[in-house]
Amino acid sequence: MNETQTETKEKTALDLPWNVVVHNDPVNLMSYVALVFRRVFEFSKEKSEQHMMEVHQKGRSVVWSGGRERAELYVQQLHGYLLLATLERSA
Amino acid sequence: MNIERDENGGFLFSDVEPPLAELFLAIPSAADPDGNAAAQRRLFPDPVAEKGAAVVEDWEQWVKPVLREAFENASTTVEADLTPMAAGEDAVTIPLEHVDAWLNALNQARLVLAERFEVTEEEMNRPAPFPSQNERHTALTQIHVYGLLQECLIQGVE
Repeated sequence: MNETQTETKEKTALDLPWNVVVHNDPVNLMSYVALVFRRVFEFSKEKSEQHMMEVHQKGRSVVWSGGRERAELYVQQLHGYLLLATLERSA
Repeated sequence: MNIERDENGGFLFSDVEPPLAELFLAIPSAADPDGNAAAQRRLFPDPVAEKGAAVVEDWEQWVKPVLREAFENASTTVEADLTPMAAGEDAVTIPLEHVDAWLNALNQARLVLAERFEVTEEEMNRPAPFPSQNERHTALTQIHVYGLLQECLIQGVE
């Protein structure tokens, strides 16, 4: 691999977005989870309920993708609302 | 129990029967995760799934203390609102600006109780058991009642 290829590969890896993932939790109320999505991400009622249902039915939902710093901030906010949320590199 | 809204959007829970008042008064203590590692982990989860990630150490140092303070503040707010009830009144007023603290403290309490008593998803979906001397039944009743209070507050602020 030449230098340009290496640089391109590294740059691509660095540019990959980070996902904010919310995981299912049998204790948190569905209405509460939807409310938190509206508060944190300013989702519409419909979008927040779609993500809430995805968490409930599939066990997880990617609620936001983007830069690492902002993703960490969102995870912190979600933890502040006691939701189970993690940060993961987009595939 | 009666539920009313005041002119500023706050909530007034009145004619609260003594057994229910006891559950109200137990919110701050139920929300305290001290002495239970599973409850601590649930209230302060790691930000990534993989173990040993560098971000976990930073999170421990910088984020968890902030969250801990926020959760304690929410519990303190609830405890202050419950002062008249602790003195024997059968009512509690929740000012609109305290609703978020109540939602947070109620959620803490539900999560901590679920961890302390290893409540299963099936139990969460069953109706609340009749209150009894059984500690686990009491915890399940608390989880359900606190959930109803949360629903009430959520509907009220939406």
